[in-house]
Amino acid sequence: MSENTQLRARDRVETSGNADAHKPITHRRGRAVGIVNTAQEKERNSGPCLAPGAVSVELAGVGHRFGARAVFKDIHARVEAGQTLVITGRNGSGKSTLLRILAGLLPPAAGTVTVQVDGETLDPVARRRALGYVAPDLTLYRELTAAENLQFFARLRGIHLTREDLIAALTEVGLRGRGRDLVGAYSSGMRQRLKYAFALLTRPPILLLDEPTANLDVDGIAMVERILAAQRERPGGGLAVIATNEPREVEWGDTWIRLGAEG
Amino acid sequence: MGRYVDTVGSRGVSAPARAMASGGSGWLAEAWALLLKDLRAELRTKVALSTVGLFTFSSLLLLSLATATLKEKLALDPLTNQMRPAWDAAGKMGLLWLLLCFAAFSGLSHAFVHEEETGTVMALRLSMSAGAVYAGKLAFNLLILFAVALVVTPVFMLITGMPLGAPIVFLIVMVSGCVGLAGAATIVGALAAKARGSGALYPAIGLPLLVVFLLLLLNAANTTFIVHPPALRLVRDIGGLLSYGILLITVSALTFSFVWED
Repeated sequence: MSENTQLRARDRVETSGNADAHKPITHRRGRAVGIVNTAQEKERNSGPCLAPGAVSVELAGVGHRFGARAVFKDIHARVEAGQTLVITGRNGSGKSTLLRILAGLLPPAAGTVTVQVDGETLDPVARRRALGYVAPDLTLYRELTAAENLQFFARLRGIHLTREDLIAALTEVGLRGRGRDLVGAYSSGMRQRLKYAFALLTRPPILLLDEPTANLDVDGIAMVERILAAQRERPGGGLAVIATNEPREVEWGDTWIRLGAEG
Repeated sequence: MGRYVDTVGSRGVSAPARAMASGGSGWLAEAWALLLKDLRAELRTKVALSTVGLFTFSSLLLLSLATATLKEKLALDPLTNQMRPAWDAAGKMGLLWLLLCFAAFSGLSHAFVHEEETGTVMALRLSMSAGAVYAGKLAFNLLILFAVALVVTPVFMLITGMPLGAPIVFLIVMVSGCVGLAGAATIVGALAAKARGSGALYPAIGLPLLVVFLLLLLNAANTTFIVHPPALRLVRDIGGLLSYGILLITVSALTFSFVWED
């Protein structure tokens, strides 16, 4: 882990056997009572445990199914400003699906998702604009240059990017000098870096990262660590949710959800 | 079924959060940005223009060969017992629209299918409202269709000898036809893209819309070439075509969010 990041080493997530494939295993540490999954845990943690933060994400009994197959069910969690929630689980356990639900891109089959910014609850459409999203299935326009992509999405968010803003955004993700290249000509690592520039356009209070270091080199991984550290310290409050199975990335969390997988 | 808490409001929200929650730059500005982006990408890749253009011009070439002898021929009108051109102006205009319809449906699905296939639709859903996406894509399709019609119509007239008729009426029919066709192609393109059926499903979904549209167009085409059409007929045929286009776009705009959010 890079020294210049302010990320602290976390307790390793236990990966004990999960009797019920759909039931997530959760872990808590530190002051944050972030995740409550079972009725007993809910009971135990029902007291006032957190000072109200500027930003929070809460899952209450969230479940999802594709057709007859339940992917996960009854997930309870709460993340507040300054925290990072890590979602782990086997392939097909629903990590990316849960992130999509958090992003407001997919309605849950059961339960509620509550996202608050400055104490105000956001609906799914407003929520999408309050978060930065990096995921393998998110793609930027290959037929446009990196600068054109960022300008387009900034314009959609009501932001006018000056030349200096563009250079700063590209420099932050290690793409300085490559802004005029077509994204189609980028390597997979460069495209991953550009996704971070896209996600950080509005300096959102919530960052959702699915496989955050996919295709990134050592410098790229350090960049992600810097971004996460900055997110924790974000003025006004910031939090991150990560879906991963990489041991290094699991260490970045304060609280964890481990999803089971059927079969 | 799960539910989202839906209590959005402006009270107590910080400026950046309010900017994010309020929909960023506004509906029209978003649609305009999407149109400019699509035009920029189109100028670079020329996918829609080349698909529509190639289809149209190859059809025109075949048409010119097939109708080389037909356009001068006369036929006996069984109703009046008089000789008249075997291929009248209204028939030619009907054929022009048939050609434009197939060209539009073959090329304009690109607007949504491309976003879905390349995965950029997720970035759009994170950044834009459904209404703005529909407006932007509709504007793009309309511009492409206008451009194609502007080039194809004079060439078609040259090849087939189709007369102009009353210029104002002709212009209204062309504009109304393009508006209705772009409206149909846009919503059907969105449905096909969501159904992951891309090109194959496109004509199947579009057929019911296309049949009604072509019937209205043929009525309007007949009226275009009447020397002094009764006002009632003008309103019925041309107004009917225009109304269908507006109706199609209104219904599409109202239902698009369900398609987009699905």
